[in-house]
Amino acid sequence: MSAARSTLAGAVVATLRRDLLIAYKRKNDLFNPFMFFVLVATLFPIGISPEPEALGEISAGVLWISALLASLLAMDNLFRADFEDGSLELLMLSPHPLYFLVLAKNIAHWLVSGLPIVLVSPLIAYMLNFPEGAYSTLVLTLLLGTPVLSLLGSIGVALTVGLGSRGLILAVITLPMSVPVLIAGTLTVSQTLEGASLSGYLAIMGAMLVAALTLAPLASAAALRISVN
Amino acid sequence: MQFSNFQEFIEMGGYAFNVWSVYGMFLIFLTINLYGPLRKNRQIIRDLKRRYALNAQVPPMSAGAGSQPSPGSETTEEERT
Amino acid sequence: MDWTWFHKWGSPKWFYELSGKWLPWLVGAMVTCLLIGVTWSLLFVPQDYQQGLTNRIFYVHVPVASISLAFFPLMAMAGTIFLVWRMKLADVVVKVAAPLGAWFTALALASGSIWGVDTWGTWWVWDGRLTSLLLQFFLLLGVVSLRTALEDSEGAARACALLSIVGCINVVVIKYSVDWWNTLHQPSTNFTLATDQANGPEIWVPLIFMIVAVYLFFAISLILSTRNEILQREKRAQWVMDLVAKS
Repeated sequence: MSAARSTLAGAVVATLRRDLLIAYKRKNDLFNPFMFFVLVATLFPIGISPEPEALGEISAGVLWISALLASLLAMDNLFRADFEDGSLELLMLSPHPLYFLVLAKNIAHWLVSGLPIVLVSPLIAYMLNFPEGAYSTLVLTLLLGTPVLSLLGSIGVALTVGLGSRGLILAVITLPMSVPVLIAGTLTVSQTLEGASLSGYLAIMGAMLVAALTLAPLASAAALRISVN
Repeated sequence: MQFSNFQEFIEMGGYAFNVWSVYGMFLIFLTINLYGPLRKNRQIIRDLKRRYALNAQVPPMSAGAGSQPSPGSETTEEERT
Repeated sequence: MDWTWFHKWGSPKWFYELSGKWLPWLVGAMVTCLLIGVTWSLLFVPQDYQQGLTNRIFYVHVPVASISLAFFPLMAMAGTIFLVWRMKLADVVVKVAAPLGAWFTALALASGSIWGVDTWGTWWVWDGRLTSLLLQFFLLLGVVSLRTALEDSEGAARACALLSIVGCINVVVIKYSVDWWNTLHQPSTNFTLATDQANGPEIWVPLIFMIVAVYLFFAISLILSTRNEILQREKRAQWVMDLVAKS
């Protein structure tokens, strides 16, 4: 029993380490989503208005939408390289449940593409004249929400991994699915600003994260089995 | 009957555009979704007829072995009877 | 328990023959209900004391909108049946339901927004119901485009079945979250389902006719597309050859 568990844990840790190492070696993967997030957020003041008032009003939405788009853009890296060099098939042949391996890949991917966005968000928020008093809420919601975005995105990526041109179809599938997260994230921020108690909203986001953690890798694993033959 | 004459019926109490555009769209929607499949059905049967005729001309040896000359034969379902 | 019905339902030939027998009856019933419903709703329904004669729109919008909500559950069920039991017919349903659902949702959206012109004063309002219908429309288009993109029929079938299941769960989550979002952003939209006042039989009986007609239409359209799909997939089967030869 304990031996079996340790090998599963070992496989998960090995997958995690491998993906992090690859990301570290390929600095582009580390840098691009982050850069994309900053760039998109920069476009809003230019496109809408540099007025601090107007910016403050929309800043939470801008940050969330930028995070959503950045995570969508980053999703392509999740399985593609592994699919192309065949290591995905090897992963699927392993005796351990694919669920946990997919989860490990997801975690590694989020650590590389999601976490930097969460960390840089207060800075961008400041530049967008984000209202004071909600910085911690913003970071917390992003911390809870971006993993859900990656987990949802991984279903779409797994379904389309065999396709040649999958950028647009991935967006068409994934973006509508991300709407609940966007709603929860932005509402939590705006309600905190209006003085509502934070705990209920964070509980909802936490519930979303738990649901995504349990269900999404299941769907992604099934989708991978379909796409990779 | 809510209307005393035809003119009133068309005017719909000032909501002619709203009411008639919705019913018009409904009609178009019904027509497209009924007529479309029916026309497609005739087209499929016509296509299949042509295909079977073509296959009949080809010697039976190669008929089942993958010589589908017409387009749209990419689905390779197993034969079932 | 006799399980032969289950195998029969998996047989495209059986379905094709049976649906061929049903179709005339279904079409007859639909046309009757539609004629009664349309005539009654347009000519005889009393005007609403607030909305006037725009309440006629309601007789198209409500049936169409109520059916468009049924598409994801339907596709998810068919998708599950396909993934678990490999029933070919279930995949055909998933395939033809997606575009049909997009049509229904589009009509529900259009009629809803035309109905809303009078109530809200604009064509589009980010009302909870319209917003979640719009997102459902996008999800349905996603299923359609996934099917188109994955040309391989077996893989596409399984991928679309899975996406339908995921989408069905998602539509529920979207529905609740959009309602939540909407109540916090717009405290009151006085956009109620018009049945609140004066819901006597002269209001709801024609509605029932329209609902039955639209449900029958949905069934007929689904059956017609399914039959086409069956013909194309079974083109090498002997019974299709016989059928084509006879026609």
